[in-house]
Order: sequence, then C-alpha cells, then structure tokens
Amino acid sequence: MGKSRKTVQIVILVAVLIIGGYAIGSALFSGKDEGPLKAGSEPPQFELADLDGHVHRLSDYKGKAVVVNFWGTFCPPCVKEMPEFERQYEKWKDQGLVILAINLSEDTLTVNNFVRRFDLHYPILRDVNRKTERSYGLKSYPTTFFINRDGSILEIKVGGMTEADIDERIERLLQR
Amino acid sequence: MNLVDFSSDAFIVAFFLYCFAFMFYVIAIAGKKWSNRDPFQHEKRWGRIAFIASSLGLASHLTFFFTRWAGSGQIPTSNMYEFMTFLGMAIMIAFTIVYAIYRKALLGMFALPLTVIIVAYASVFPQEVQPLIPALQNVWLKVHVTTAALGEAFFAVGFAAGLMYLLRVIDFKGKTKEARRSQFWVEFSLYSIVLIVGFIIAVFAFRGMGYEAQFVQEQSKIDAKGIESTTSETVNYTLPPIVKPYNSDIVQMDSFLGMDAPIFEAPYWMNGVNSGRKLNTVVWSVIAGSLLYGLLRLIFRKPLGAVIHPLMDGVDPEDLDEISYRAIAIGFPIFTLGALIFAMIWANIAWGRFWGWDPKEVWALITWLYYSAYLHFRLSRGWQGLKSSWLAVIGFVIVLFTLIGVNLVIAGLHSYSGV
Amino acid sequence: MLGVENTKCECGHQNSVGTVLCESCGKPLETDDLSDLPLEMRYDGVARRSQKSNPNFIDRIWNFFSSVKIAIHMIVITFLTAMLGTIYPQENTFINNFDPSVYYEETYGLPGKLYYLFGLTHTYESWWFIGLLVMIGTSLVICSLDRVLPLYRALSKQQIRKHPQFIQRQKTVFRHQLEDDEEQWSDQFGAQLKRKGYRIHRDGTALLAEKNRFSRWGPYINHIGLILFLLAILARSIPGWQMDSYVTVPDGDTVQIADTNYYVKNEKFTVEYYKDEELPDKLKGTARAKLFETKAVLYECVSKCDDQLQEPVLEEVKRHNIVVNEPLKYKGLKLYQFDFDTTPRLNAVRPVLVDKRTGETYGPFELPMKDSPLQHKLGPFTLDLYANYMEFAIGDNGEPVTLSRDPVAPAFIFTVKGPGLDPAGEPYLYFPMQKDKVKFSQDTINAAVAAKIEIRVDGMENVDFSEASTYLNVRMDRALPYVWVGAAFSMIGLLMGSYWQHRRIWLRIDNGELSLGAHTNKNWYGMRSDVATALQKTGIAVDPKSLDNGGNNA
Repeated sequence: MGKSRKTVQIVILVAVLIIGGYAIGSALFSGKDEGPLKAGSEPPQFELADLDGHVHRLSDYKGKAVVVNFWGTFCPPCVKEMPEFERQYEKWKDQGLVILAINLSEDTLTVNNFVRRFDLHYPILRDVNRKTERSYGLKSYPTTFFINRDGSILEIKVGGMTEADIDERIERLLQR
Repeated sequence: MNLVDFSSDAFIVAFFLYCFAFMFYVIAIAGKKWSNRDPFQHEKRWGRIAFIASSLGLASHLTFFFTRWAGSGQIPTSNMYEFMTFLGMAIMIAFTIVYAIYRKALLGMFALPLTVIIVAYASVFPQEVQPLIPALQNVWLKVHVTTAALGEAFFAVGFAAGLMYLLRVIDFKGKTKEARRSQFWVEFSLYSIVLIVGFIIAVFAFRGMGYEAQFVQEQSKIDAKGIESTTSETVNYTLPPIVKPYNSDIVQMDSFLGMDAPIFEAPYWMNGVNSGRKLNTVVWSVIAGSLLYGLLRLIFRKPLGAVIHPLMDGVDPEDLDEISYRAIAIGFPIFTLGALIFAMIWANIAWGRFWGWDPKEVWALITWLYYSAYLHFRLSRGWQGLKSSWLAVIGFVIVLFTLIGVNLVIAGLHSYSGV
Repeated sequence: MLGVENTKCECGHQNSVGTVLCESCGKPLETDDLSDLPLEMRYDGVARRSQKSNPNFIDRIWNFFSSVKIAIHMIVITFLTAMLGTIYPQENTFINNFDPSVYYEETYGLPGKLYYLFGLTHTYESWWFIGLLVMIGTSLVICSLDRVLPLYRALSKQQIRKHPQFIQRQKTVFRHQLEDDEEQWSDQFGAQLKRKGYRIHRDGTALLAEKNRFSRWGPYINHIGLILFLLAILARSIPGWQMDSYVTVPDGDTVQIADTNYYVKNEKFTVEYYKDEELPDKLKGTARAKLFETKAVLYECVSKCDDQLQEPVLEEVKRHNIVVNEPLKYKGLKLYQFDFDTTPRLNAVRPVLVDKRTGETYGPFELPMKDSPLQHKLGPFTLDLYANYMEFAIGDNGEPVTLSRDPVAPAFIFTVKGPGLDPAGEPYLYFPMQKDKVKFSQDTINAAVAAKIEIRVDGMENVDFSEASTYLNVRMDRALPYVWVGAAFSMIGLLMGSYWQHRRIWLRIDNGELSLGAHTNKNWYGMRSDVATALQKTGIAVDPKSLDNGGNNA
C-alpha cells in the first residue's frame, strides 16, 4: 500500500506543478506581451504592398536599420515630415538605411498625388483596413518606429519631428 | 382598474398582513409570561394565528407578483423596486419552508420584521413598470434573478436565526472584556438595522413634504481631436442636500429648517452627479437612523440587545444554531445555481462570455466563497454555536452589499437605479 | 511522538496511524480520551490517507494541501483579495485606447496610483490571484482524495455490532430496559425503520439501519465538478481556444475579423426605439432602444487570403440576423450585437453632368467616395479625377487639404474636357454634399466653368450611404462545454450532499438492555425524529429532544 500511495502522491504533485505552473506562468507573461510597444520590444510583423505592387515584409529587412513611419495626408505634421524623410533617405541610403512609410488607409489617388507632388523615392506602403496600424497600437499620428539591425525597437517617436531630430536618430540607429 | 393597479393594492395588503403577523409573533413569544395562561398553549395558539397571518400575507404578495407580471407583460424583477419586493417575498417563502420544518414561532419574530423592512425599502424606489432594454429580454435573466434571490432569502433566514442565537446566549449583564465586545457588536448590528429603517423613514417623510432640489454639474471632456466639449448633467434630490455633487451648481432648492444651501461638497473622486446624491442619502440615513436609535434608547433606557434578550428566555440555543445552519445549507445550492450557474448561462447568452469579473459578479462569487467557507467551518471543532452565528450575521451583510451596496458604490452592468 | 503508536484495537483489528475510532468495532482509540462526550465522527473516525508517523518532504507538502483548515484559509484569502479588485474599475472594462499608468492616477489621485502600482487594476489576471486559484484547485484534489478513499473503505465494510462505548457516545442516544422479547422487538423496530427508507442489517439482536449513504459522496462529486470547472477555465489560455475582440461594420461593408480567416458583412443595421406611449412618464421623450438588429453574412476566405495585391476570394458560410441575445454562430465563432453608431456615412453618389448652355444632361455616373475610377466619360465630356479629399478644408497656405480619412465632407477635383471648354481641360471642384457646396461656395471657386456645366445629384435615390455602423463583439470559447459539465457535476454533488443526509442507527441489546446510537452528517433534528417515531411505533414513547446527547451540530 505504501508504495502505490507514494506514486499517487508524486504523480498528483507533479501534475499540479505542471498545470499550476502553466497557469501562473501564463498569467505572469501574458501581461507583458499585450502591453503597448516599448523601446526594446519586437515590432509586429507586417506584409504590405507598395504603390508599384511590390510586397514588402518587415522580415525582408532583417539586419538593416529600418525606420517605419505611419503617415496620412490629413495630418499636417506628417505632410511636413515626408520631404524631410526623403532628404534623409538620400543622405543615408548608401549606408543601408531603409525607410518604410506606411500610409494610414487612404485612397489610392490621394496617396499617388501626394507622392508625385513631393517626389518621394522610399517605399510607400498601403495598409488596407487599418490592420497594421492596429497591430502597432497607434494612437496618434505621425508615429515613427526606429528599428535596430537586430530587429528590436530603438525608439518610438509619437508626433512630428524636426529634420535635425530625424537626422540625429538615424545616425544613432546606424551606429548600432 | 387594470392589473398593475390591482397588484399594487395586493402589495399594500401584503405589507399590512406582514406587520400584523409580526405583532402576533411578538404576542406569541412575549405573551408567554403574561399572567393566568399556560405558556405552551399560548405560544401554540398565537403562533398559529401569526402563521396564518403571515401565510395570507405571502399569498397576497404572490398575487401582487403574478398580477403585476400579467399586467406589465414582463416578470417583475427588472428594477430595484421589483427586485427588492421579490426578495422580500422570497424571504417569506424561505421562512415558511423553514417554519414548516421546525415550527418555532420565535423565528417569525425575526424573519417578519426583516421582510417588512425590505419591502418598505423597496417602496423607496420608483414603482413604474419600465420597459426592458434588449440585453435584459431573456428567460435566463428571469430564472437567474429569481433563483438567486431565493438562495439569498435562505441566507436571510439563517441570519435571523443567527442573530437570535446571539441575542439568546450573549450575557448582557457581563462585565468582562469578552462580554462587552459581544454586546457592542450585537448592538452595532441592531443599530445598522435601525439605520436602514431611518433611511426609509427619511425618504418617506421628505417625499410626503414634497421636498425637491436640483443640481447641475458641468464636465468638460477633450476628445480625440483635441476639441473640448462640455456636457452638463442634472440631478434631482428628494432629500435636503447636506452634500452636493462635486463641482456643481444649484438649479433650484427648497429651504429646509432654514438650510438654503448645501453644507458640504462631495469629494472630487466621486465622479458623476449621482454619487453626490448617493452620499447625501447615506448621510441622511445615518442622521435619521441615529435619531431613531437615540429615541429607542431613551424609551427603554438600556441597550436594544438587553431589551430583546429576556424575550428569548426558554428558547433552546441549540435549536437556533441548527435552524441557522440548516437554512444556510438549504440556501447554498439554490444560491450556487441562481447566482453563479444561471448567471453564467445568461451572461454567456447576452454577452458571449460566462464570466467577466464585473463587480456584481465578483461579489456574487465572494458571497459564494464566504458561505462555502462557512460550511467548511461547520465541520471543524469549536466553530458551531456562537462563532457560526456571527458568521451567519456577517454573511448576510455581504449578501446585502452584493445586492444593494455594489449598485450604490460600484457601477456595473447590473443597472438597477438607486435613491 | 516517540516510538510506534499502538493502533491495535481490543477487538483485534489493526488500524492505521491517525485512526480515531476502530475501523471495525468503533471503539474510541484515543486512550487519553476518557470523557463521555459525543464522539468526533467525521470521516467515520478513519485515518486520512496522509496521516503517517514519519512524514518526509513530499508528505509535508501533501499534508499542507490535505488540511481543511488550510483550505478555508485559502478560500478566505481569495474572497478578500477579490474584494480589493472591485474598488476601482478593472483595466479590461476599458475597450479603447487608454493608458492605465496615467488613467488611474488622473481619475482617482494617489489611491488610484497605488492601486495601479500594486497591480490591483488587473487583480483577476494577476499571477498571485491565479496562484490562489491553483492552490484551491490543488487542495480540492488532495483533500478529497485523502478522505474519500478511506471513507469509502470504512462505509463499505461496516461492522453491525459496535462497541458499547461507540454507541453510547453518539450525539443521538437512547437507553432502555426492554420487557418484550429481544428478537421480536428488534424485528419490529427494523420494520419501522425500513418503512422510512432505511436499509436494515442484523447480527443477532444487534442492528444497523442506514439510509442515503450516497449523500456522503455529494461533496466529493461537487469537488470533482469544481476541479473540472477550474481546468476548463485554464484551458481557455491555450492559444486558439478563446477569442474576444470587437469589429465595427458600417452598413453595406465587409470587414475582416482580426486574426481569423473570416469576413463579416453588414447588409443592413436597424434600430427601433420604444414609442412614447410605451414608456412611463419619467422616460418619455428619451431614446430607449427596444431592438437593434444587424443583417449579417459571414464569409470565409478560400484563396488569396494573404495576398496584398489581389482581393481575397470569399465564400458565404452563414447568414443570420444578429440581435441582442441571438448571436451569429458558426463553428464555435460567435458574433454578438454589442453597440451601434447612427452617424451616417456617405459611400457613393450617382451624379449627372448638365450642360447649362444646352440644358442637356449626361450620366448619371457612379462616383464612390473611396478609390473612384480615375476617368469618367459622359457623352462629349470627359472627367479626369485629379484629386479627392475626404474632409475638405483650406489649409494655412491656401491649398486644399483633407482633415481626416473618413468621408465627412468629401470633395473631388475633376479636369473636365468637352465642347466649349479649354482643350487642356478646366478644373471643376465638386462637393457631393449640399451643406459643403454652400459652405465652401462651390460656384465661386469654380468661377467661369460653373456657368457652363454643373455636376449634381438628382434625388436621394442616387445617393448611397450607410445609415449606421454596427459594433459586433467577436467571441470564441472552446472550453465552454467543459465549463458546463464542471458546473453540472458540482451542482449535482451539492444537491446530493445538501438535501439528503446519511443517517445511521446502531442498536444492540445486552441482557434486555437496549443501547441505541444514531449518527447523521447533517440535520440532527430529522435524525432524532426518525428514531423517536420508530420507537413510538414499537411502543416506547419518547420526546425527540430528549435523545440529544449534547455536543455540537456538525
């Protein structure tokens, strides 16, 4: 009797340890995943087409310094930033800088007109149905994510920046 | 005369029958010591009269319930008035069942005033039939509310028996620290009951006078686009405003005893105009209840516990303990079914989730955990009698908080209105 | 305790350590207990599985969870902490973007800040609250297992002839000098009890009457149900088992349900309000919703689902009118009516082009607010869409801008070519909404061209707009059936344990002296009345209350 009782005890305690550990563990860690993105965390993946119909995945740019910018023509600071990004892109692209400007679910014509007007050369991605925008938890525009070569977020900048701001951050990003 | 009006008359009849039944139960118990009569025969005779009166009251109450149901086309458990009257009715049903088992007239002396107070408390709330919003139009809601109330009613009977046990066994002449502490807490329990009575009296007195005051509170909000918009909410007071809502202005206010302006303002963290009103109600309850309690002390010249204690002479405390335990043991499965399982089924139908940690749900769970702790305590040595009676009394406080307190203090999905 | 405890009873039965009453004859084994108070009858006095003389580390953990006292403590701690969680609203009551670290402090001041810092804003998801539930679950398993097996053994091999001390120290007892024949009286008494539903076991003049033994298993069945319930809840955290999200669908739109392969279309949303005569005086004039309904179609994507360049291919799988309490259900996915928004939204117009000089009308042509074709040919006229604006405004630099991406005040700039117009085309600014036309003085801006042509919409039948948007709550819960099974078990167990009581009566007659003892797990009142009635029927009048031997009501 003693032997079998001991086995039962151990089996039950191990089961409790596994199930209980899983329960407590998932409670401990789930909270961290769901929180808003922070510097240091991994940005959500996306797969979006640009204006020419090429599909860009964030994972395509692994190992490169990436700037992901969410913008819209209805947001004046975004409009101001876009040509500044163009100048920065020209300045740093030889060093491997990637700029992905994700448009906030606007009309094709609107985006095309805008891009033509400012003569932008970095990829403008179309986020249909606001899917990517949601996964990034955007609250206001513009919002810019500076992503390190190792795929982690260096900084999240909410709101407009001056060109000097952008320059300084990109320099920092490329040095890492 | 339509059915709803008829049902209101039946309700008034039920109320008075309960009051009479209460008096008969008091005669049955207190009258035993009157001269030239056989105490046993006296209790039997008056106990029967009282039971008939209370059963007639219950019949009348049931008439109210079903005619109102027929007249309004929906089960009358959808607002605070209807729910509290239903709770009163459920307590009477629970009492009748427990009385049928144990035949103790004394139980009526405590269960009936409880019913009377709850029914009177119900009358404080607006009594119109209100059409239901879509979320509440479901059969499971009805099943959930009625079953839960019935379970709670058994807890109420357990509370009544527990309180009787305490009044029976606590030594009201004792001077030891222990005795004094018990005396204090029993007195405090009685005082709390008096507060509720005070609240009811205050509401009805001022309603009789036609007292009114109105406040407006302006709240500015900044929306996502950064545009500031101001919303103003008004609130009507039926009790003179000792406390006004935070950051509000008087629209109109009747003068009361020379009081033309509110004395205090609700603290800033009490959001919304209604919390100011609720706080005012609480303040008035304390004032009216304390006055009433003071008056009673002046009349009897001793603590209320000591007044009731002699009436309990000759009652077997073991019986009271057993009744209290039994009532709770009967009520617990009903409560589990009504307040948790049916509630989960309904929540799953209405909101697609069976549990959402809504304050009302959490408090139902707390009540359930509390009574399951009680039932486990009963298995342990030394937790019967005195301790378990205290647990039964505290348990009912938790039940009342779940029913009323949560609505007054914490707002959730269960949107019964408050005064 | 030093040495080995002697657990052998005088009747010869070898009991295990921790046994209170001999498993065979029932004689109390605690030798230092010389009182004549009623016995402690819990679990029939048998040893719990865990009671051992030399507990090791595992035994100690086992014993911790096996204790009812500890279980009660855990229950108490759980409901006390649950109370804390109701002080302020929990984080999950806020659906939209909100930052808890700011919100609580802003709304409730310092207490709110502390509330957030202590993690009470998500009490019920916190690791320590889950930990408490896990501990209660463990305790349910171990407590039950530790007691139910020995109890089962004890109840299935009961001895009929019990030790006199065992009988006389029950809570309900009766002693009597019999004058009748012992055998005959026992037969009679047994028959009476049989009529009351007792099962009778005889051993000479000794008698054991038992009824409703099954009610002893009630608490354990209840505990099994609770364990199932807790496991089912835990299973919801398995990825893909549970989902809870919201989707907004304007009239006529098809929207993908996030993280699924499903799309939902809102064909028409309707809301009905209570009429004034249906409302009590107090509520008259207020908009109290009576019914809201979404005519919904659920689609499943069958190919090109993740293709960014092509439209996904959808297949209709379910059609249902969603009202409150009647969700659309498909393969465990449920769409509930949650809320609605009655702000109208313009989708498309079908305007015509009028040549003001000839009075000729061309068109109408389809002009959607979003992603319109870039060119429209109308008779001799060609309209090239040059630019469009969702919420038209004039920017600081005098250029047209849009203030948002939703068609609040849409505007289109066409380059119009045709008879009597500049061959290079003349710009024409068009506002589909009359209010905007006036507000931005369309005709003034268009100047000369406004005298020649006009684009206008004739009648409401040429306007396509969504009257409202419906908010649907998307839910999925695969653990649900297990939750109900757990709840059902638990309820059945509760009913068994609460509304039936296990009652036993032991009786032995030694030289005409009748000793009777009775035990129940609940409701002594009923126990005494059973015994008293049976005695009465066999000619022994007794007041039920006098059978009480004192002691506590367990």
